Amino acid sequence: MSSTVRLIRFPTALRAIAGPYSARRASSTLQNPKKDASVAHHHRSQTHHHHVSYSETDDAVPQLASQPIHRLSLADLVKHGRPPLSAEALLSSARFTLSLLPIRLAHRIQALRNLPYIVVSNPNIRRIYNNYQHSLSTLLPWQGRTISNLEDEIRFTEVLAELVQTHTDTIPILAKGFLECRKYISPAEVTRFLDQHLRARIGTRLVAEQHIALHYSSSPHFDPSSSPTPCPENPGYIGVIDTALRPASTIDSCGSFVADICELNYGVRPEWIINGNPDTTFAFVPMHLEYIITELLKNAFRATVENGMNKSPVEITIAPEPPSSISTPVTLSPPSISLGAFNRDHIQPLDDNAPGVTIRIRDRGGGISADVLPHIWSYSFTTFSENDDDNPPGAWSDDALSVISAASSGGSSIAGLGYGLPLSRAYAEYFGGGIAVQSLHGWGTDVYLRLKGVGRIE
Amino acid sequence: MPRLMLQHVTAAVRLSRAGELRTWGAAAARAQLPNRRQSHTSSQSHAHSPKWRPVSVLDEWVAKEARPISLRQLMVFGRSLTESRLISSANYVRTELPTRIAHRIRDMQKLPYVVVTNKHFNEVYDLYYTAFDTFRKVREVKTLEDNDRLCATIRTMLNAHLTVIPKLAMGILECNGLKDAAELDKFMNTILRSRISRRVIAEQHLALTETFHAPWFSPGAKLSETDFIGEVFLKCVAKDVVSHCGDAVLSIARHAYGPDIPLPEIKIDGHLEANFPYILSHLEYIIGELLRNSVQAVVEKHQKSKNKPPKPPPIEVTICESNQHVIIRISDQGGGIPRESMPYLWSFSKGPASKEILANLEQVPKMAATMQELQIDNDDSNNKNNKPTKKMEPPHSHHLHQKYGHQSAQSISQERQQEKEQDDRAKYSSLASLSSRPPNLRLGMGLPLSRVYAEYWAGTLALHSLEGYGVDAFLQISKLGNKNEQLTTRATMDAV
Repeated sequence: MSSTVRLIRFPTALRAIAGPYSARRASSTLQNPKKDASVAHHHRSQTHHHHVSYSETDDAVPQLASQPIHRLSLADLVKHGRPPLSAEALLSSARFTLSLLPIRLAHRIQALRNLPYIVVSNPNIRRIYNNYQHSLSTLLPWQGRTISNLEDEIRFTEVLAELVQTHTDTIPILAKGFLECRKYISPAEVTRFLDQHLRARIGTRLVAEQHIALHYSSSPHFDPSSSPTPCPENPGYIGVIDTALRPASTIDSCGSFVADICELNYGVRPEWIINGNPDTTFAFVPMHLEYIITELLKNAFRATVENGMNKSPVEITIAPEPPSSISTPVTLSPPSISLGAFNRDHIQPLDDNAPGVTIRIRDRGGGISADVLPHIWSYSFTTFSENDDDNPPGAWSDDALSVISAASSGGSSIAGLGYGLPLSRAYAEYFGGGIAVQSLHGWGTDVYLRLKGVGRIE
Repeated sequence: MPRLMLQHVTAAVRLSRAGELRTWGAAAARAQLPNRRQSHTSSQSHAHSPKWRPVSVLDEWVAKEARPISLRQLMVFGRSLTESRLISSANYVRTELPTRIAHRIRDMQKLPYVVVTNKHFNEVYDLYYTAFDTFRKVREVKTLEDNDRLCATIRTMLNAHLTVIPKLAMGILECNGLKDAAELDKFMNTILRSRISRRVIAEQHLALTETFHAPWFSPGAKLSETDFIGEVFLKCVAKDVVSHCGDAVLSIARHAYGPDIPLPEIKIDGHLEANFPYILSHLEYIIGELLRNSVQAVVEKHQKSKNKPPKPPPIEVTICESNQHVIIRISDQGGGIPRESMPYLWSFSKGPASKEILANLEQVPKMAATMQELQIDNDDSNNKNNKPTKKMEPPHSHHLHQKYGHQSAQSISQERQQEKEQDDRAKYSSLASLSSRPPNLRLGMGLPLSRVYAEYWAGTLALHSLEGYGVDAFLQISKLGNKNEQLTTRATMDAV
């Protein structure tokens, strides 16, 4: 089993989502990036040891949390136009981002506060709680202000960068905390909390990351080398969204990565074929797709190898939905040669019925047995029995996947029963897609990943 | 027990004495004539005022609980059959049928007035009430002659109720908007499940009676355990059922589309030995519907494609057997299900498509009785080849015995005697007829009805659409009778 634990312990995909900033911020053009990072770090280590002092956030939370969360759509994220953004468009993006974040954070804090006292007293859970309190406190001074000049916008973007950085390791820390607390809270409650929390987190990070990416690709701050995403160099990108994402390319790159790991651990390299319409492109967030595909391929490859079916390639079918008769293409002004020439800051809202892509991953890995099947969507540690007490799931590290995936390696027929599937589904569902798993026990598994696009952006 | 007899539930077409294919529908077609005329003259339904009936009689019966019978009990009855067991089975059926029907009548009475006065619902209501009145008046069965009379009544009723499913489906469509679609679906599911349970009980008893009267039968003799599964349940070899249904569907498609349109190949792989006891007609109906959907989608997509390859992509069927289940996966590349249809996929209500489906269903009351003789009008726009329509004859039905391995030593000698009976029995199954209509006649109830049947026997039916590419359908079958705990499930389901 140790080899399988190792197999599923590769953090790259998650890092790509969780912390693209850590590597790139050094060259940031933001005014004081180093200071930001150290402040954040200091704050975290401090709150780890001391009971956080109640602050102005306590008064703000109930009021903010009483406001509904804006349901984010991909359309929201591209509505400020195609990069390079003009100063005015950038300010508008900042204002939009500011209008969302405090409410989102307050809702999370509220949810954490509603957990049992004994759970939030756990050092790991409290660390996350304090992170949220801290992040909200950095945003509260902006409340009631209008970001109307570029200096404000730079400072605001710094706050966002710190926020993204602070919450990078949330998932493994929460997982550890809940594992330690599992005697005091039911699996159902943990699942409900995590489902909500992880989904909310996806949106919060995306809002923040989108503005940061737009910042670097705006005319005033144009700086490709500092950006966490390739947006400025690539005209297909709007912030963190690739408007011409080719799933087949993602599958091939994630596939060869997962196959490398397989080769290392099993000495065999599973094969895959892509059929259907491999040339399909659509608008989506590449880091989300990479995470999902990596998780799904890990499961498929591992099952195939362990079932001795290396000769049967994993079949991946890409099916673009035909354009619906009722949907109309989204029109975005093309990037203007003279910088900042976006005619309008706000484009038409995108069609939520826009056609998407369905990707089927079909393996001959023996399927999932009927007793495991009901648990594939739960976070692994919630289904631990008391007997597992002596056997903590692997060494805890900051690498989310090792923590999470190791937990699932106890003889189950597919890998990554930890966070892999539920989190992948959370990513897929975020924009209205989904994941369905159909097992043919004794034969193989079909996984259907449906992703909703934003439609054609012209 | 001649195994040949076991297929009487399903076989729509029997080998006649002369060895030629003969449809059973001719007699029934004549019987249905008044009905046909009616459906021609009044395609639009009019509100039907309910006939007055005393409520108190029904109340008495509604107060009784249904007495579920487990699959095991069904089997034990047949394993060692005596006169007293047969009589006791008769009395069970005699009281159980009116009880169960009474509950369904009460369900209908609770629907809004506007729904039950719909022409189609009202006809079903009358059919049910007549059946209820008939069965509740049957006196206690004490002799074999009493039992024969009961069996004759059961046969008449089974036959008269063949039109129930299409009528209900039309009723639902016409009541679009009069009541919440989800509520109507719930009603449909209950009434259809109940219908399955009643027909299983009734057909089981008819089969027991036939066995008892068979010349080879000696009362109390134990039947061989290895051969015997049950009167109603047959040992189904998944691969054989799929390939038989596939042949039938392709032949119907060949007939509907004409000789020049290339049809997809149906490939079968996986665990080809997988077998399980099941009601063959139910399995054939489900598989037939799924394959029909696939064939139609693949052919029509292929016809529309521009640079079409000479042959459309195959339909791939994978059979997978595990300890408790057999899963049949049907994968096609027929373009998938359009988004707009998804909300109505599993519903008997069809939203915007209601009108077209209603028009198609207008042809079904005839079909329910005489599917094999369905005439598609030459001017029917659905009919692409404007050729005179011949009889729809599912091919290879005469191979049924060999294919399903139902040939036994006694069966040869008994075959002829039983032919008439079996022809009669075949009429009881409206399912076989529903699945042999032309593939382009959409009724919109294949999937929801198939799901009711699959779930009734503790199975599942799921569909995954890759829009723009194709559909994967998954039918999961519980290996009933192998596990005791599933009998409880069955008993619970049976109580509807």
